[in-house]
Amino acid sequence: MAEYLLLILFAAPLAAVALSFAVRSSRLSEYVTVLAAITDFVVSIPLLISVLGAPVTLAHNYIQIDPLGAWVIVCISIVYTLASIYAIGYMRLLNEDQRLPLFYGLFSGFAFTMLAACVMNNVGVFWIAIELTTLISTFLVGFEREAESTEAAWKYIVVVSGGISLALLGTVLFYWGGSFVLGPSYAMTWAALHQAAPSVYPPLLLVSFLLVLVGYGTKAGLAPMHTWLPDAHSESPAPVSAMLSGALLNASMLGIARFLGVVRGASIDGFAHSAVVGFGIFSFFIASLFIVRQTGIKRLMAYSSVEHIGVQALGLGFGGVFGVAGALYHMLNHSLNKSLMFFGAGNAMRAYGTKDIPGIRRVLKVFPVSGTLWLLGAVGIAGAPPFALFLSEFTILRSGIGGRYRWAVIVFVIFLIVVFIGFLSHFRAMYFDEAVEPDIPRLSGSVWRTLPMWLAFIPLLIFGLWWPHSLWDIFSRISHDLMGGAQ
Amino acid sequence: MTLSNLVLQICQVLCVLLLAPLLQGFILKAEERIQRSRGPNILQPYRDLWKLFHKQAVVPESASWIYMIAPIVAFTAMLIVPILIPVLTDRPLPQSDMGDMLGGGMVLTLGSFAIILAGLDSGNVYGGIGSSRAVMLAILAEPTLILVLVGISLLAKAMLPFVVNHLLLGSPSTYWSPAHLFLILAFFVLLLVETDRLPIHSPTHLEIYMIDEARILEYSGPLLALLKWASMMKQFILYTIFCNVFLLPWGMSQIGTPFGEFGSVVALLVKFLLVALVVIVVETVQSRLRFYRYQEPLATGFLFAVLAIVSSQLM
Amino acid sequence: MFLEHVNPLQASIFSSLAVVSLLLTFVMLGSHWLQNYVYAFAVQSWLIAALSASVGYFAGYPELYVIAVLTALFRGLVLPYLLMRIIGRLNAKRELHAVLQPSSSLVLGALLVMFAFVIANHMNRQSFLAAHVVVMALTIMLSMKFLGFLMLAVRDEAVSQILGLLVLENGIFLGSQILVPGMPLLIEIVILFDLLIVVACFGMLVRFLVVHAGTTSSRQLNRLVG
Repeated sequence: MAEYLLLILFAAPLAAVALSFAVRSSRLSEYVTVLAAITDFVVSIPLLISVLGAPVTLAHNYIQIDPLGAWVIVCISIVYTLASIYAIGYMRLLNEDQRLPLFYGLFSGFAFTMLAACVMNNVGVFWIAIELTTLISTFLVGFEREAESTEAAWKYIVVVSGGISLALLGTVLFYWGGSFVLGPSYAMTWAALHQAAPSVYPPLLLVSFLLVLVGYGTKAGLAPMHTWLPDAHSESPAPVSAMLSGALLNASMLGIARFLGVVRGASIDGFAHSAVVGFGIFSFFIASLFIVRQTGIKRLMAYSSVEHIGVQALGLGFGGVFGVAGALYHMLNHSLNKSLMFFGAGNAMRAYGTKDIPGIRRVLKVFPVSGTLWLLGAVGIAGAPPFALFLSEFTILRSGIGGRYRWAVIVFVIFLIVVFIGFLSHFRAMYFDEAVEPDIPRLSGSVWRTLPMWLAFIPLLIFGLWWPHSLWDIFSRISHDLMGGAQ
Repeated sequence: MTLSNLVLQICQVLCVLLLAPLLQGFILKAEERIQRSRGPNILQPYRDLWKLFHKQAVVPESASWIYMIAPIVAFTAMLIVPILIPVLTDRPLPQSDMGDMLGGGMVLTLGSFAIILAGLDSGNVYGGIGSSRAVMLAILAEPTLILVLVGISLLAKAMLPFVVNHLLLGSPSTYWSPAHLFLILAFFVLLLVETDRLPIHSPTHLEIYMIDEARILEYSGPLLALLKWASMMKQFILYTIFCNVFLLPWGMSQIGTPFGEFGSVVALLVKFLLVALVVIVVETVQSRLRFYRYQEPLATGFLFAVLAIVSSQLM
Repeated sequence: MFLEHVNPLQASIFSSLAVVSLLLTFVMLGSHWLQNYVYAFAVQSWLIAALSASVGYFAGYPELYVIAVLTALFRGLVLPYLLMRIIGRLNAKRELHAVLQPSSSLVLGALLVMFAFVIANHMNRQSFLAAHVVVMALTIMLSMKFLGFLMLAVRDEAVSQILGLLVLENGIFLGSQILVPGMPLLIEIVILFDLLIVVACFGMLVRFLVVHAGTTSSRQLNRLVG
């Protein structure tokens, strides 16, 4: 069952890539991409359910679908679906019709590499999949071919490749450490590394883990390795920004979560969690500083991503069922909410012709409906009830309050307040500041750009009010896999 | 035995004293030959010295006693160092434990120091410039020198040149270890800098480019001869250390018979020939660096020394 | 682990190949000329290929011969060729406005090697005869990592940055040949191909940079801040 679902999951985006490049019709590639994305979304949920009982292993142990990976696949395919619908409305505004097949080809290829990364059971192959996401997304970041987007693409690939090579070094050292236990040649699966970890010489294990953490942390946008993130998120087309923020960061967090699982039970377990918490708090700190004084609308969203990745890192670092469940729930909610935010920002950018917050005023006059959704999304992403992020952040807070990271929880709350005020004051200015009545031309195809915002907003509200019990079961299952059931 | 050792030690000093101009003459000659001109006779440095000793010395009015005493200090320092290092024999001679490599280095530096003072004392503008440049070079070269000494003492667990020589003779694996090879490279950089060679020192005799020559610009007659001789001896001594301690520890008399000693002299000349040829090639292919790029070769030397120390820890 | 049974001759072959590779990294660090970087990188790749082959021979891993051939071919020939083409496209022959003079970066690099050695020494707990080969492999792996990052930090020409990244990868590759020769072949081959794609991407990006940003110096890429 799971095999066939996986096959469909991978075949759909690949078919979209092939058709986009083969036929070279911009309309066709748009619809094919949406179709592939919806197929992936439809397939991902039964896939998750089918592996809840026991992980499914395929292809000589190179592929393993476990609940954690399947959960990230669900998050990624949701963003893929929303972003590809939004892309139809957004990319037509760029007036680059002849390059659209290229865009959609890369777009689906990007989604494919991220989905593939989630099921890789071999640590080395996982690294390669993550590296491939960088290579493909570089061209998506630089797609607009402005000086700024080229610069962003360059910084993105240099910083991320440099960072991810640290993860490769860490992986090689992990393998070396494992070779003392498992013999010189073995399949480097997550399970094998986990089995070897307690017997590896602790300083070696520590260095390896830190290298891996910094490596995948670079890709996930944890501060201080986040420097590529605001540039890439702000300069790429809005659907790509949503994919980078809502999907790519999750795929990289998956790496960190899996390595936390690998060192569970080893002597450095506690230190590893502290390191993750430290990076989480520092990301929060950096993001809150930059959010308060931000002038670019998409850079604001980008720093908000740094903040929310920090929250996820805190959840994983605090550990326990609540921490992990909170982090995973946060992953889903952040994907939905951040897509909504980037879609709104893309609309505003196109309508007002600027990326600067001071240039965007009286949004409700221009976008009565989608502007309202965007504002509510902003309230949600700042962490206010009744939206879903409040629920997941609250769960993470709760998981940390009793443990040894009480200090981190206090700092977390302080920065949450700072971010709340800083983020929403920008929105207050954009919505309610007195300004001359903007003279904005009506843009065509607005249905394509408003529909995904509704699709993101409705589940956000639902998940904020009601945490489905079945999700809770999935999370406790994953947390049991990762943390060995420790409370 | 003690007497013969004493004689041997005196022979070492004499060897340095007498053969130093020959080395200089050879280098000058060979350099010109490589550049396709005829070049001076190989014995020309001897003739220069002879001529200078028969000239009258002129002393600037502003000069003090430092001016008079500096050449003698420099010359004496160069006579002391050969006692400490293996020139002809690799046996420790009676007085050779007076000082280790650090001590020898300090005596060498004392000679340079005296000349630097004299350059300042002469009151000549170029003397001052020369002295200040020489001091800057010394400051740049000092870290490398210290690290080379640290490296060699880590390798041999001793600072005596004889011990190092024995170690390299006795264990080829040490000789071919990266630590030792890096030390050779680092010392070679020092050798180029300290013996007034390119890429730092200019071969043309123009006052603006001068460093070591500028310091002694005011000297004449026998005092100049002493200074020139001292600088040739310094070159000879550094070559000796480079060859007998670092690069080619073979071919030295072990028992101390006159025949063996003669053989050592011949071997020494052959080794010098090889090193001098390498130095000449460097001089020919390299152009002089700008003043503000002096640190580059020395940084390279420093790097080699650090790598030597790191790799000596790995062995 | 095959290093436990390594004899002094093999140990010295491994260490000299690795040490010379490290030295070539310093050549890149200390040179002003872009072409020298590429030559040094090519030679370094050949040395790593030789290392793979010798490890394969002494430790009995025939599949390492494949790796050696591919390394020599891709890293030693194809990548330098691509890099030379990129250089040909640039209007720069040498690094003019380095943040740090080559001499200072050499000294800094030397200190980083010492730091790498300290870390490597802490990470090893083997005490058999050839343990120094292990420490040396770790040291050189980490040093090349540090030096690559140093190059990324102090050089701003596009090609220098690409080479900085390649040095990072070369360091890992070199170390992994000595430490984990039994690593599955598939992974190593895929990493090699991955590098090829990386450089191809960079080549296209450099073209973008020239056309759209009008510069290939990262110092001029300062539009996006804050």
